[in-house]
Amino acid sequence: MLNLRLRPEEKAALNLRALYEDYHYKYYRMSRFEEYDFYADKKDFLTSKRILTFTDTNGRLMALRPDVTLSIIKHSRVFDGIQKFYYDEKVYRVPKNANNFQEISQSGIECIGNLTLENLREVVELAILSLKTIAGEHKYILDIADAGIIAEILRGSENKQEILKCLAEKNIHELQNMNAPEEIISLAEGEEKISSTKYNTFYFLDEILEGLKKYHDVIRVDYSVVNNLNYYNGIVFRGFIEGIPESVLSGGQYDTMMRLMGRKDAKAIGFAVYLDEIGRL
Amino acid sequence: MINIALPKGRLGEKVYKLFSEAGYEFPGILDKGRKLIFENEELGMRCFWVKPFDVPVYVERGTADIGAAGKDILLERSPDVYELADLKAGFCRMAVAARSDFVDDPERILRVATEFPNIAQNYYSGIGREIDIITLRGSLELAPVLGLSDVIVDIVETGTTLRENNLSVINFIADLSARLIANKSAYKFKGDTINEIIKKLAQ
Repeated sequence: MLNLRLRPEEKAALNLRALYEDYHYKYYRMSRFEEYDFYADKKDFLTSKRILTFTDTNGRLMALRPDVTLSIIKHSRVFDGIQKFYYDEKVYRVPKNANNFQEISQSGIECIGNLTLENLREVVELAILSLKTIAGEHKYILDIADAGIIAEILRGSENKQEILKCLAEKNIHELQNMNAPEEIISLAEGEEKISSTKYNTFYFLDEILEGLKKYHDVIRVDYSVVNNLNYYNGIVFRGFIEGIPESVLSGGQYDTMMRLMGRKDAKAIGFAVYLDEIGRL
Repeated sequence: MINIALPKGRLGEKVYKLFSEAGYEFPGILDKGRKLIFENEELGMRCFWVKPFDVPVYVERGTADIGAAGKDILLERSPDVYELADLKAGFCRMAVAARSDFVDDPERILRVATEFPNIAQNYYSGIGREIDIITLRGSLELAPVLGLSDVIVDIVETGTTLRENNLSVINFIADLSARLIANKSAYKFKGDTINEIIKKLAQ
């Protein structure tokens, strides 16, 4: 028996692996490098646009992986069924407000294929259980929203980016100043649904939450988590633990990204857990 | 315990007045001393003075749960925080000013002096104008007068300083005032208390 004192983030990573194995997700091990070209046209998807590059022995320009999801999509097979992966990797990014590259520990899951409501529900449930696993006795919360509704309301809107920024900031006074659609303002104010019948077509979020009632005290519908409509099209969510100043979990359904990568019919949902901050708990 | 970051200086004093009128008092906080941290145990609140530019940093990193920051600083730094309320104090504008005889020559790169390089860059990118940014730390009015820059991007309150230097506003960028910001994670777990504070400040 090894007598090792694990750091909190190492322990958390192992506990998460056990959790994902329990749900029959397969461990996905990948190379730390991708060809730089692979990221060049997908920079908006990455949280930091700067990529650490080097030239390999064949003279190819390579990148130290800034993101795991894109690599998993690329290497996943094209077929009708469902593929479930989990990972425990390092990524290389320049975090916001930092001056240089950092190695960041990231665990997470991706569920790709012909997704059903049950799959989506399971991923949300796993997000909650991931938070529970790493939070210990601390409080945690999962904020969730439907990016699809926002995309529909803002279709054709001129100042979409400004509106999204204010929505993410819960900035109601500026939304009113810029005459944002009523529906957006009411969602920013904390409404969980919009009453207008115009958009009443697609309440996927409701259906997902319907099956997750036992977690109602840790799930909150909060539209400030919607940020990127270019890649996320369905539900999006973000997890917080009391005592850690930034979100520790972030994910959503990204069929649009799949389409951009040439996987027209596949759906995909996943999330990443950032473990570097949990030593602070 | 709620931690509050207030900006040192005139704006911070105006904002503190709102807090004290709402019943959140920190005895001795307005005395001119070296003390920076003030606690009111009864309220379960702690207040500290920081440089105005640093308020978003304290809030984004969670050292402060909430803070009051000028919109100018929020636009410049774009912190990942909630902007929960307009405190309606310290009204002014972000604007472009130039010498009264200035004529823009679109064939040349415009030299812009400012304390707010990101705001200036965003504004001119938005209208597709190429600029050369000169970042200064104050006394902006000097730059066009001495020929260091063609225009300045700066905060304009009454316009008196501009007039005294024979400058005038040529473009408006944004309305500014003090905003109440909150750390996103803190708001998840102390949201009720924070909302209560905002409600009382607004009364």
